[in-house]
Amino acid sequence: MNSRITYSEQELVALLQQRNEKAFGYLYDNYSGALYGIVNSIVTDKEIANDVLQNVFINIWRKIESYDATKGRLFTWMLNIARNASIDEVRSKGFRDSQKNQSLSETVNIPGAITGPAVDDVGLKKVLSKLKGELRVLVDMSYFQGFTHEEISKALNIPLGTVKTRIRSALTQLRTMI
Amino acid sequence: MNTQEYISGGIVESYVLGLASDEERSEFEKMCTQYPEVLAARNAFELALEKQAMENAIAPAPGLKNKIFEQISSAGKVVSMDMAPVRKMNWLKYAAAACLILLAGSVYLNISLTKKNKSLENNYNTTVAELGDLKKDFQVLQQNPEVKMASMKGMEASPASFATVYWDTASQDVYLMINNMPKPASDQQYQLWAFLDGQPIDMGLIEITEKPLQLYRLKKARAAQAFAITLEKRDRSDISKPGGQVYVMGKL
Repeated sequence: MNSRITYSEQELVALLQQRNEKAFGYLYDNYSGALYGIVNSIVTDKEIANDVLQNVFINIWRKIESYDATKGRLFTWMLNIARNASIDEVRSKGFRDSQKNQSLSETVNIPGAITGPAVDDVGLKKVLSKLKGELRVLVDMSYFQGFTHEEISKALNIPLGTVKTRIRSALTQLRTMI
Repeated sequence: MNTQEYISGGIVESYVLGLASDEERSEFEKMCTQYPEVLAARNAFELALEKQAMENAIAPAPGLKNKIFEQISSAGKVVSMDMAPVRKMNWLKYAAAACLILLAGSVYLNISLTKKNKSLENNYNTTVAELGDLKKDFQVLQQNPEVKMASMKGMEASPASFATVYWDTASQDVYLMINNMPKPASDQQYQLWAFLDGQPIDMGLIEITEKPLQLYRLKKARAAQAFAITLEKRDRSDISKPGGQVYVMGKL
């Protein structure tokens, strides 16, 4: 956080869209930690998590034109880039190979295993840990592992409609917890 | 429409966290433009989420920022002047540039050396061929007992000059070899003279060529006791009598 200047979000976005590297430096100084926290909650390997964060910032730099302020805050936009990049990495073949020698409990397809991993450490996952049993599994699969409602429905053998309403319910609870 | 019910249904969180379906997304975006309370709910959750994430920030690897800046800078973007220059001191980039320059230099040098080599080779081949011709000529001249030779040494005007006349007394042909003589100015030229009883006889004008050890064939001589070369003006009217300085002279 060594930037002396502070920007309003509007100014920051305008400068980034002009490819202002100083503004990008400011963005990194202010948000890399928060985004790394998100990446880290999905990609547990520190080295890979850093690689993912690097790609996240490069994608932010390249895609800043497509950011639309009417659809949400800049941070929300960046957060979703970070989440998607992390999930893509976890689902990539290379990552799965690198994780093969690690704990079996991290294999994502086994529903029972999902409650197992060390979720209750930091950030959103800490909040998530406050959700009750099944709701927590649903949010974890949906948000942190990127499964679609259909995939969750199949994996947990719960009707699709039920998955949807329960996730909604979990998210509503999540709001009051944050 | 009951917006409170809509808001509390989990759509706000679902949308912000990127979990909503495309259909839900476009509906929610429409709702945000129509109902300020929906937009406010979205903003509130976004801010809470951001705050929560900021509080749980984890510092990434220390070198990561530089790595990222190296990548975005090398992507050919316009460099803004207010960036700290030290960040662009990316040795790899400079090394690559240096390599390119070295490569270009090397390629250029290669081409020019190859060219030079080629032209030297051509020169060499020509010279060897000429030397071969010359040797033949010499052999003819030297082995022929009828051929007389006059070594002409440098006179006062040009002490370092040296030339040789071969005179075939049988055929009366006269050959001149310029061993070493200065190149005349453009309005001057050398002229060979034969001396008989002290009288100069014009043997012809010499057009000096660049070729070394060139053998010039001049006018036939019926009789001579000595030979000499003078430096003459090109445009003089009477070339039958020497007017300029004697450069070399030698007796048979």
